[in-house]
Amino acid sequence: MEIVEIHERRRAEETRLTGLRIGFAVAFVLMAVFFWRLQVLQHARYEEMAANNHLKTVPLRAPRGVVFDRNGQVLVENRDSFTIAIVREQVKDLDDTVRRLAEITGADEEHLHEAVKRRLREPAFRPLPVIEHATFAQVAAVTARRHEMPEVLVQQVPTRAYPAEGMAAHAFGYVGEIQEAQLTSTEFSQLPLQPGAIIGQTGLERFYNEHLMGTDGNRFVVVNSRGRELEEMRVEAPVEGARMQVTIDYDLQKALEDAFGHAGLNGAGIILDPNNGEVLAATSLPAFDPNAFAVGIDGPQWQKLITDPLRPMTNRVLQGTYPPGSTFKIVMAVAALEEGVITPETTFYCPGHATFYGRTFHCLRRQGHGTVDLRTAIEQSCNVYFYNLGQRLSIDTIHKYAAALGLVGKTGIDLPGEGDSFVASTEWKRRTLNQPWYPGETISVAIGQGAVAVTPIGLATMIATVANGGTLVTPHLARAFDNGDGRGWQPIAQPAPRSRLDISPENLQAVRDGLWRVVNGAGTGRVAQIAGHDVVGKTGTAQANVSLQNRALAASRGVDVRDHRWFVFFAPRDHPQIAGAIFAEHGGTTGSATPIARHVLETFFAKLDGQPMPVLPGTRTMPAPQPAAPAPAVVSVRPASAPRMAAVSTPAGTPQ
Amino acid sequence: MINVVDRRLVSHVDWPLVAAICSLTLIGLSTIYSVTWDFRNDQPGSAFWSQLYALPVALTAMLVCMMVDYRTLAQRSLFLYGGLILLLVAVMFFGVVRGGSRRWIPIGGFSLQPSEFGRIVIALVLAAYFGGGRRSARSLSELAGAGLLVAVPFLLIARQPDLGTAATMLPVVLGVTYLAGLRLKWIGIAAVVFVLASPLIWTYGLQDYQKTRISTFVNPEADPRGDGYQQIQAKITVGSGGFYGKGFRQGTQGAYQFLPVAHNDFVFSVFAEEHGFLGVLAALGLYLFVIVRCLDAARLARDRAGSLLVAGILSGFGFQVLYNITMSAGLAPVKGLTLPLMSYGGSSLVSTLAGFGLILNVRMRRFTN
Repeated sequence: MEIVEIHERRRAEETRLTGLRIGFAVAFVLMAVFFWRLQVLQHARYEEMAANNHLKTVPLRAPRGVVFDRNGQVLVENRDSFTIAIVREQVKDLDDTVRRLAEITGADEEHLHEAVKRRLREPAFRPLPVIEHATFAQVAAVTARRHEMPEVLVQQVPTRAYPAEGMAAHAFGYVGEIQEAQLTSTEFSQLPLQPGAIIGQTGLERFYNEHLMGTDGNRFVVVNSRGRELEEMRVEAPVEGARMQVTIDYDLQKALEDAFGHAGLNGAGIILDPNNGEVLAATSLPAFDPNAFAVGIDGPQWQKLITDPLRPMTNRVLQGTYPPGSTFKIVMAVAALEEGVITPETTFYCPGHATFYGRTFHCLRRQGHGTVDLRTAIEQSCNVYFYNLGQRLSIDTIHKYAAALGLVGKTGIDLPGEGDSFVASTEWKRRTLNQPWYPGETISVAIGQGAVAVTPIGLATMIATVANGGTLVTPHLARAFDNGDGRGWQPIAQPAPRSRLDISPENLQAVRDGLWRVVNGAGTGRVAQIAGHDVVGKTGTAQANVSLQNRALAASRGVDVRDHRWFVFFAPRDHPQIAGAIFAEHGGTTGSATPIARHVLETFFAKLDGQPMPVLPGTRTMPAPQPAAPAPAVVSVRPASAPRMAAVSTPAGTPQ
Repeated sequence: MINVVDRRLVSHVDWPLVAAICSLTLIGLSTIYSVTWDFRNDQPGSAFWSQLYALPVALTAMLVCMMVDYRTLAQRSLFLYGGLILLLVAVMFFGVVRGGSRRWIPIGGFSLQPSEFGRIVIALVLAAYFGGGRRSARSLSELAGAGLLVAVPFLLIARQPDLGTAATMLPVVLGVTYLAGLRLKWIGIAAVVFVLASPLIWTYGLQDYQKTRISTFVNPEADPRGDGYQQIQAKITVGSGGFYGKGFRQGTQGAYQFLPVAHNDFVFSVFAEEHGFLGVLAALGLYLFVIVRCLDAARLARDRAGSLLVAGILSGFGFQVLYNITMSAGLAPVKGLTLPLMSYGGSSLVSTLAGFGLILNVRMRRFTN
């Protein structure tokens, strides 16, 4: 080999080695740049992603606030229930896990599959509840197999416990998991709620959800890639919701519902303190069992509730509107007196019928009432007298007085979903039908038929306004809250009266006298007469919403076409302490609302006078009021609850 | 044969290179210690111990490879070559199957992976082939001869199947032939042909799982739970380390197993997580230093066979380092390719240090006859 050649080769080699050196150097610099980009420029983003990987938040459900009645009796509380959950992250074969779980717990496999499917979109590390409110046997079965099935957990969850038999179910409402649409709704989006959170869905639970729900806690844990917990970093304990005192009186509530049950009637009843609008009792029947919702209602059960023709989910107290019938005569009397159309002594002759604008209208008594003044007209419920008032008052004047007495629009009660009471006006007819109002139509309105439809709560505020002399109070249920900050019960401000109608004392007295005679004279409400307590009231009949022509047809289809019965009342006449409206749905000719009111009034006065509670005729002796929980319950009560409970009966500083 | 260790030879050992190699090995060991920590028993994982036990074996292998004159080895490289083929054939019959491929021969309590030594043997054979006489890689016929030599072990390893390890032989071939004068024009032509043929390769040459791997690399978000998972987690691991790192044994991605095989293929990601950009710079610096020192050894080699031997071993090493570190940052398709010196794996450590033994061997004998 020649020297030259070797040298040449050597040089070529060195060039190539230099090339390699440069190549490697460039490659390493490039890599350093890549790492700079990832580790310095994009660091924040990846740091967050790494934290999301291994730091998990496990929510701890807060117990909702306990609800007490006005005397400190527990109405709604919490008990601990057990939930069996699957941690999807640790599941090898979901179908197999579900099958085995169904086997050992005796639960329906389909059911479990559905529960899993509903929440498949949630993160896999979050326990997925499949059996809520598990029985002790189920809990024991799962616990015994915790080594074979590490992916199945038993969790303790505070759950709402309502009084038995759906007592005041519509007032309390029910709780349930927040729905997807609700998460973004204006009502709930401001609150710190996560999917799966429990919120009030109706009733007080919803209206005061923010107070009652408390603050869910969290456990912050470190997990590995298989979701196994390695370490607990921190726990934010859940904060129990504020305790709430409502204006409801347990005994009156029970009396009201017992009386409906005794009469075998559905309908609505609402009892108020006429002086401030506090709701002492409220019921809508048929009701539902809120406990079923707390436990997580299933599809078929829910379907049954919402397709039931008796509509148990409707709160008739504020969502049902019905013709007020003769109870509307109270509004007519006040309007005519205050407008000066009549005096209490004005008389009209009732021959049993009367003709206005070419049409004949009948009175209840075919043979007529003869010559009657206002007091007698109210006592006898003489239609002809009030037809005459209707002829002399414009519909707009009637509308004005109806509004002042609470029969137009909403009452503003602190419950969600209230419907509007309605009394016609010329403006309304022009707007909706583009027609003028015909004076002939006013004649029907004068006896509460035709273009009038009111809610029971509206009618109750009407009679309360008459009782208190013209102040249109706002009915309400919330009385005080104790949010556990050590300040004890804080009364909430009473809602201001909506308006005040200055009824002259003579006029007021005349109306009250008439109403007194309904109960204590020769009127239609004599059943409600209670010796020593001047009960005043007015009955009414509302035609069921079926036209006369269709009645036979409807009846043949099993639709109840019997008329509805009303009774509005207050007592005692001169210093009213209680007022209310009873609506007996399809009461017909026999099922009157008056006996229901009587039982409530008797209970009220017996309590007031310290007498034994009245017993409904023909029933066995009622058991003493039971604690509200349906089952032996672990109640979350704060240690200091006993002294506070005592304070509840006379909340310090509660406006009277 | 084995000359008693000559004092002159000892003085010519490239001690800075040895130091850099040992540093990287210890960095790897500490990373394995950190990432395989057994939280249940609060002690280092078993992978750490087996790596620790492999270390003296590897150092011994390095020492042996330094002491035997590389020229002797090159002359007898065909025997080594024959031995390799025998072992690979033995794997076909006696090998144990793990993860769907037959790569290991059980020896006592350990198992040997002969394919790991394929690169060294190939480097020796090719160095002898091109280093002696007047052969050069400029002639096609001689290249074809070299290709035949490589093809036999390549195919044996590829059908284990272990295409990854087989593929790491290609940079060795490329390194040797490059330095032996392979025309750059041919490399260019080969590249162009590859690019033009890639649609055909895509359609006919690749298995479905290989296609998935590549398409996942292009768009990892398409399947973040499946194939894209490792790549995304690798980026999170590296990126979350930041400038200073989370600190020794403070990493979460590897220790909590969000990044799979963190002690093996993704050891550098975890290192980057715990020691940050600063640590990455240090490690990259050490690797570059090793490469530069090796290039010096190639330049200083006494003869052509020595240069070619160093070039071959170094190319295999350099390619694997570059590929693995790029992959650690989620910038290359995920491939079961370890990081020499740092990744877990006894055979890999032994063969890597043996390779460096040969490079040191070439350098320290640059003045001997």
